[in-house]
Amino acid sequence: MLKLENLKKSFGGVSATRDVTLDFADGSLSAIIGPNGAGKTTLFNLITGRFPPDTGRILLAGENIAGLSQRRIVRLGIGRAFQVASLFPTLTVAEALAAAAQAHQRRETLLRSPFPLPATMAQGDEIMELLGLTRVAGILSRNLSHGDQKLLDIGLALALEPRVLLLDEPTAGMGPEERWRMIETVQRLWRARRMTLIFIEHDMDIVFKVAQTVRVLSYGSVLAEGTPDEVRTNPKVIEAYLGKSAHGTSGQGAAV
Amino acid sequence: MDLDALLRCVGMTSCVVTQLTSGMIIGMLLFLIASGVTLIFGVLNVINFAHGSLYMIGAYAAWTFYQLTGSYFVSALGAAVAVGVLGVLFERVLMSKVYGSNVLMQLLVCYAVVLISDDLIKIIWGPVPLSMGMPPEFRLPPVRFMGGVIPPFYIFMILAAMAIGLLLWLVIGRTRFGSIVRAAAINGPMVSALGIRVNLYYAAVFGIGSALAGAAGALAAPVRSLTPGMGFSILIESFIVTVIGGMGSIVGAFAASIIIGLTRSFGSIGFPLFVDGVMFLIMALVLIFKPSGLFGRAHR
Amino acid sequence: MTSRWRDLGLAGLGLVLLLLVPVFGAPPAIRDFIMFGMAYGLLAMSLNLLIGYTGLVSFGHAMFFAAGAYAFGLAMQSGKFSIPGAFVLAIGFTALMALIIGAICVRLNEIYFAFLTLAFQMLFYNIILGWVSFTGGDQGLMGGIPRPKFLGIDLADRTQLYVFCSVAFVACIAVLRQIVTSPFGYTLRMIRDNQERAAFLGINVTMVKLACFVMSACVAAVGGILLTLFVSGAYPNFGFWTTSGEAIFMILLGGSNVFLGPLVGTVILRLLNDITVTYTSHTELVLGIVILVLVLGLRKGPLDLLAERWENRRQAKAQAVRDAADKDAQTGRDA
Repeated sequence: MLKLENLKKSFGGVSATRDVTLDFADGSLSAIIGPNGAGKTTLFNLITGRFPPDTGRILLAGENIAGLSQRRIVRLGIGRAFQVASLFPTLTVAEALAAAAQAHQRRETLLRSPFPLPATMAQGDEIMELLGLTRVAGILSRNLSHGDQKLLDIGLALALEPRVLLLDEPTAGMGPEERWRMIETVQRLWRARRMTLIFIEHDMDIVFKVAQTVRVLSYGSVLAEGTPDEVRTNPKVIEAYLGKSAHGTSGQGAAV
Repeated sequence: MDLDALLRCVGMTSCVVTQLTSGMIIGMLLFLIASGVTLIFGVLNVINFAHGSLYMIGAYAAWTFYQLTGSYFVSALGAAVAVGVLGVLFERVLMSKVYGSNVLMQLLVCYAVVLISDDLIKIIWGPVPLSMGMPPEFRLPPVRFMGGVIPPFYIFMILAAMAIGLLLWLVIGRTRFGSIVRAAAINGPMVSALGIRVNLYYAAVFGIGSALAGAAGALAAPVRSLTPGMGFSILIESFIVTVIGGMGSIVGAFAASIIIGLTRSFGSIGFPLFVDGVMFLIMALVLIFKPSGLFGRAHR
Repeated sequence: MTSRWRDLGLAGLGLVLLLLVPVFGAPPAIRDFIMFGMAYGLLAMSLNLLIGYTGLVSFGHAMFFAAGAYAFGLAMQSGKFSIPGAFVLAIGFTALMALIIGAICVRLNEIYFAFLTLAFQMLFYNIILGWVSFTGGDQGLMGGIPRPKFLGIDLADRTQLYVFCSVAFVACIAVLRQIVTSPFGYTLRMIRDNQERAAFLGINVTMVKLACFVMSACVAAVGGILLTLFVSGAYPNFGFWTTSGEAIFMILLGGSNVFLGPLVGTVILRLLNDITVTYTSHTELVLGIVILVLVLGLRKGPLDLLAERWENRRQAKAQAVRDAADKDAQTGRDA
């Protein structure tokens, strides 16, 4: 579904992405891990078209989307949730999701009927249901707890019914119990929507339990890829995370 | 439109000299004001819509000091300093309260100050236009140059403005004070974290910017009539200059003021009704093709 | 979330109330106050579509107010148009002007946008002042506005003029309400709250902003037309920067987050003006001080503060719902 071919990107003299080639199968659930500064978010930015790659191709279902505008890429089916939730502070959860749904249904410039349109409200309600946000439907986005904000952030991306959904550290800033609930939600929506889901994550337990494939980035290039078991026993990966004196798997805070 | 008159003028060196000088003095006044605006914006990220009022106060202050002391130089210096102090007060008491807020709040604070200062000027000096007249120091025979006639005061104005501009550029670029100011422009909290009282520097920058406007007012006083509305029209032009030159760039302000000054002086011969239009056209073109201005830093 | 029928009912009620004023023999001073309020009210309400709902702070909105006024006045003075014809022409002209200016300005960031709209406004003002043969220069359009009858309506009659203006005013408010409660209106809010995310939802932010800019210009133009009919002329100060400034102040005074806030602000400001004028000629000084007190003291319009309190109560209720649901979920997990 999504293929990255020889992607390169530098900022000034700094090479953020060095010759990355990755293949994400349709309907797969993969994780991207790597130490801070490895270029994970930059990769997401390249895929969503925030800036074009210096060289290389990004193929979505066979079509090269590198260099297209962000808006076009979004309309072609790539959705993204952000590390720091990017919301609409003055809208309630229900309003925000209905508004996102109406943008997806291309009816955001309608003047005749009142907001929300029944079809968009229905889509919004469905997403709330899926993410467990129905209980906060009437709360303003800016009044949400951190966890709910992250969920809404994902919900806004889901409204676009993406073929590929990118989640940037969905469990960031959460305590252990909340993390598992979040990742269960992510799994649930992946199964419900059958999309290609890629998430960036630092919690190794979660990654190894949940992901089908894992790709490891370090200093802008792909260090290793494979199933969780393959990756967790890969000596290069262990070295990148823990240094030469490695001892089994890591808990939280392993990424330095 | 009288393009023939323009062409005729360009053919005569005397006319060229006259228009060039008049263009230069307009440009230099604009430069002093625009450099204040651009300095304040570059460091504090705030558009001082009240800058024209500072210019006006400078002119009126110079007039008053001149009535009292009879010396132009003392009056001009006094006016610049007085307006500088006023600027610091304005910044500390009012502007600093709305630094983080959106443009609307900053606009309204400046708008309020403009209203208040306009009315105060009317109350203190009266609504009737005042004129300072040419100070005796400059009542010299005009300088003849290539067939054209240049009043000596104009030469003084141009040289004074350039000298001030050069001084400003050196202070910002070459002194310790200047480097702290430049650092604060990029990352204020960081400078503060280094133990430097950033707020003092902010106030100083505002004071310098205001003093520049005050100096412009003092320089303009002998050759312009003083009215309570004089601040606003020059404000708009100085903004155009700042946009064309690039927000935050003193060199840009210099280049753009000369362009605008010359456009005004030659334009008033060739296309008097469209001079404003041409200025806006230049600005619109700059905003379309190089939004950060001729010399500005590109923001994202 | 919104109820179209309720809104229409309220609009109808408002119109009825307005029309009752001359019926109950109110003194002309009251009627004049209302007429001014309607014209400037449309200016402020239309500007709030930009500022309050889209986050576009325009400091030059008065140019569209003046454009409507002058276009209408000139059209009527030419003798070639009926009143409805001139009405449409004036709005069309303003829309075109807004399209061109908007296309240049709307893409720019906050500060440049504010200032460039101001610059364009002053350019327009200078053209009005300079083109003396066409616009009358600083004297304004002189010679009054011819008012040929149309559809049996005679606008030379003060009462009929009042009725006409009231209807036009309420109609415009209804149109603004329609815009604001439509999907388009929520798209505007999205752009105001988080332009980047809005773009990330596939919204063409520039086009939406431009459409909003043109629509609000048209409503401002109607305000200008009403004022022209009322004072029988068009004057350069309609398009001066102080008029734009006052409109912004009206929005601040009444509240930008409440639909009718700017209208309330208009009334308050005009009252303030009228009261101040009876005591002193230094209206600017008083206005300036009041603005400072409000901006630095309250930081928000009084209506906004009230709306905030009301919203806080709604939120408290919604939060109670959430807390109850969370408790249930927690006991479910503990079991």
